[in-house]
Amino acid sequence: MHSNQAFAEDAGMNIRAKPGPEQESDPFIVFREAFGFIPNFLRAQSALPRVIAAHAKLEEAVCLRDGEISRIHRERILLRIAADRRDNYWVALNTEVLISLGVPEDHIDGLLNDHEQAGLLAPDLALLGFCLKLSRDSSSVGLEDVEALRARGLKDEAIVEAVVLTALAAYRCTLSVALRPEPDVKPRNLWLKKIRGADEALSPTIGADARHKAASRGPYVPAPYLSPITFEHFAIIRKSHGFIPNFFRAQTLRPDLLAAQLEAVGSILLPEDVLTRAQKESILLAVSAANLNSYCVAVHGNLLRGLGFPAEEADQIAVDYRLSNLSKADMALLDFAVKLGTRFAECSPEEAGKLASFGFTQDQLLEGVVVTALNNFANTLQMGLGIEPDFEPPSIFEKNKVNLSHAAATLMPREGVEHLADTSQDADAELVAQAQCGKLEAFEELVRRHTRLMYRALIAILGDAADAQDAMQDTLLSAFKHIGGFQGRAKFSTWLVSIARNAALERLRGRRNMESLDQSETEEDCKFRPRQIAAWQENPEQSHSRTEIRQLVEKGILQLPPKYRVIVMLRDIEQLSTDEVARQLGLSVPAVKTRLLRGRLMLREWLSPHLVAGTKGAAQ
Amino acid sequence: MITCEEFFAEFGDYLEEQVSAEVRQEIELHLSQCRACHVLYDSTRKTVRIVSESNSFELPQDVFHPIIDRVMAKLRTDPS
Repeated sequence: MHSNQAFAEDAGMNIRAKPGPEQESDPFIVFREAFGFIPNFLRAQSALPRVIAAHAKLEEAVCLRDGEISRIHRERILLRIAADRRDNYWVALNTEVLISLGVPEDHIDGLLNDHEQAGLLAPDLALLGFCLKLSRDSSSVGLEDVEALRARGLKDEAIVEAVVLTALAAYRCTLSVALRPEPDVKPRNLWLKKIRGADEALSPTIGADARHKAASRGPYVPAPYLSPITFEHFAIIRKSHGFIPNFFRAQTLRPDLLAAQLEAVGSILLPEDVLTRAQKESILLAVSAANLNSYCVAVHGNLLRGLGFPAEEADQIAVDYRLSNLSKADMALLDFAVKLGTRFAECSPEEAGKLASFGFTQDQLLEGVVVTALNNFANTLQMGLGIEPDFEPPSIFEKNKVNLSHAAATLMPREGVEHLADTSQDADAELVAQAQCGKLEAFEELVRRHTRLMYRALIAILGDAADAQDAMQDTLLSAFKHIGGFQGRAKFSTWLVSIARNAALERLRGRRNMESLDQSETEEDCKFRPRQIAAWQENPEQSHSRTEIRQLVEKGILQLPPKYRVIVMLRDIEQLSTDEVARQLGLSVPAVKTRLLRGRLMLREWLSPHLVAGTKGAAQ
Repeated sequence: MITCEEFFAEFGDYLEEQVSAEVRQEIELHLSQCRACHVLYDSTRKTVRIVSESNSFELPQDVFHPIIDRVMAKLRTDPS
């Protein structure tokens, strides 16, 4: 009935399963019980047991356990999506599962022929239609589709389940295209005739109706509060990612499905024994960008930044990784992943061979496939639930909440384009061009425009006005020396502040007891708790003069350690957005958020004795 | 109702008005019933307001313009 070999050697992409682990590990037991055998899609991943465990978790939670949608209807949906994608492996397996659940063959035949005439109840038909729409072009799904399901009597819990189910189908089909597991069962005529003639997988349409989605703000279903203290998976994700992405918060109606996803994500993304975390995040960023998913672009851009990638480099990977500074090998990995993730109908067995020529091992190749599948899972799920971004997407992309615009999409495939940034968005672009040609007046005008920004960056780091003045001189000379190399990948002001920051850091390093801005949070930092608990005056500003308040604030800020001071300065004094601060400092947004709160609380501690109810007086 | 620890875990995002409606509702219920957290929230919010409106670290123009003038003069005579 099935083979221990994952796939015929010449049929797949030469990603070999290791000799089948006949030992019955937990995931295999679950599937032996559910199907009566271990499906080849799991065996095909046997080289990496942790990704099998991740996949099995998803399958078990989404398909096998009791849910809001009946087991039979879940399988019908998966069958119909697989047929829609012309995925013979999954059509065969889903057909067999449906038959084992007692569904007559003629009903399956009807589903494959024309599901609208297959005698489904109205809510079931509506749900199937929704899932197919999401699978075909996730950007076309909007709030009105969710409301139409509610009008049919479907509960929000069932809608979340349907979205996760469709996401799982995307995961499955991405895997089967690359791994080509041998069929577990002998194909039945009833489905073969329906989809044969279109043996090649059919890639979903990307962004065909993004305009429609732009008007439809998410999230589409409510997300009840789930405590990061008691729901241990949230605690884990907070530790590994530095925050809990809206992607997970938006699914709190179904903690069971959420828990399975968080375990799967942990098993696939966090270990670095095969591909590095940066390689995986690059795949997620590049494939999400190719899928026009601005939510995932923003998240993975930030996570890459947290791994030490400069903001401009992460943006470049999103817009066109071929013009980034990645190695040739990593670019080849992204070529493979983007094709697999977005145009898998074009994937051929030779693709894997190309990667092998860059030195990638079979295990690395397999993990690249799995990460790409996970990406398509996430992209589908995010679009289906209309999950709001955690961060602003890169400025080159529209701030539209769910999809990248078509305008951004057209920027992606450009060949030979030297600059990432659309310099027309930078008011300094013309002067920069003149300064790069050696026009001193243009350079002078530029630096005078941004003196305040430079000064605050300098004093924020150095904490001393005289030092800031010296560092300003260094900054100007360095900016002039290097302006020829400014490529417009970031705004000019960002670049100038980065020069100022480096000048200040160089001075800081010359001091004793230097505390690096790059120093990450310690356990103690994270456990910081305020000690001042007395209530403040209603309007502290009224009992102190403006000068007194300013002096208090300046003293308070200057006594903060540099890594907090610089963030409070840029966010609360300079009023930059959190994202802009992160870009300026080359930090991830979650790191900025953590330090910002800590800095604000330390400042509050310092100000409290002066401003609590019943006090009045000048700065000490 | 959420605990003080849970409140603290969401506090940063709440200050930045970056929590969902459901989380905001939980936090506001907690703040209405927990004096210590309310004091912490109120004083931190006031800290942010005071700092933002303080006009602190205004650029001392009389100091920086001469620096720029000096650097530009140097570049004019020796741009290398």
